[in-house]
Amino acid sequence: MNIHNYEKLWLVLAMVMIIGFISTVVYGATAVGIEMVNDEGGTIDSTALEEDDRFAEPRVERVGDNEYEAYVVARQFIFEPDPIEIPANSTLTFYVTSPDVIHGFEVVGTNANAMVIPGEVTELTVELNEPGEYGILCNEYCGGGHHTMEGKLIVQPEDEFEQGGNDE
Amino acid sequence: MSGENTVREIGHDEFDPYGTLALILIYFAILSVMWVFMYFVEFLGNDLTVLA
Repeated sequence: MNIHNYEKLWLVLAMVMIIGFISTVVYGATAVGIEMVNDEGGTIDSTALEEDDRFAEPRVERVGDNEYEAYVVARQFIFEPDPIEIPANSTLTFYVTSPDVIHGFEVVGTNANAMVIPGEVTELTVELNEPGEYGILCNEYCGGGHHTMEGKLIVQPEDEFEQGGNDE
Repeated sequence: MSGENTVREIGHDEFDPYGTLALILIYFAILSVMWVFMYFVEFLGNDLTVLA
């Protein structure tokens, strides 16, 4: 088969580009440490959240130096707890589940964005370095009040953060 | 293929579509720049990123 030199050139360039795309994604997954939200959180009985240690009382819990866990229940049409308060420079793991229908859990304007499925626990870890305020919203249509379903994530300056309510 | 209207006949490798080559190179350049922008600026720069 006779392939023109130019044609060889752009075939090779296309291959190089594909390799480039794949390597950037590999770079993101290894060097930067980006993870996909998966089923690691496990399953749960969605009709008995009140019997679960984590979700009976939705809250933020300190689990280590600068490490926090937030147990969040997304239900029609609120997020609990609301607001989620955390000090800056901390690592926060969200555990989110739903007792009713599928919800979305999106920290607005960021890559922290996942689906919340009844019977499943969605687990995602993020790092919060700067103080600030984020909105949280449901991005899966979940019923008549879907458009009002929102919450807040407040990252407080470290020195202003009160531990109150977290170590009962 | 040579008929009365043929002005010049060239072989397979003598045909050099510079214009097409230039267009494709420009297209590849645009794709690369857009990919870098999308991944490194829009995606990686869009904290909070899921890390575990």
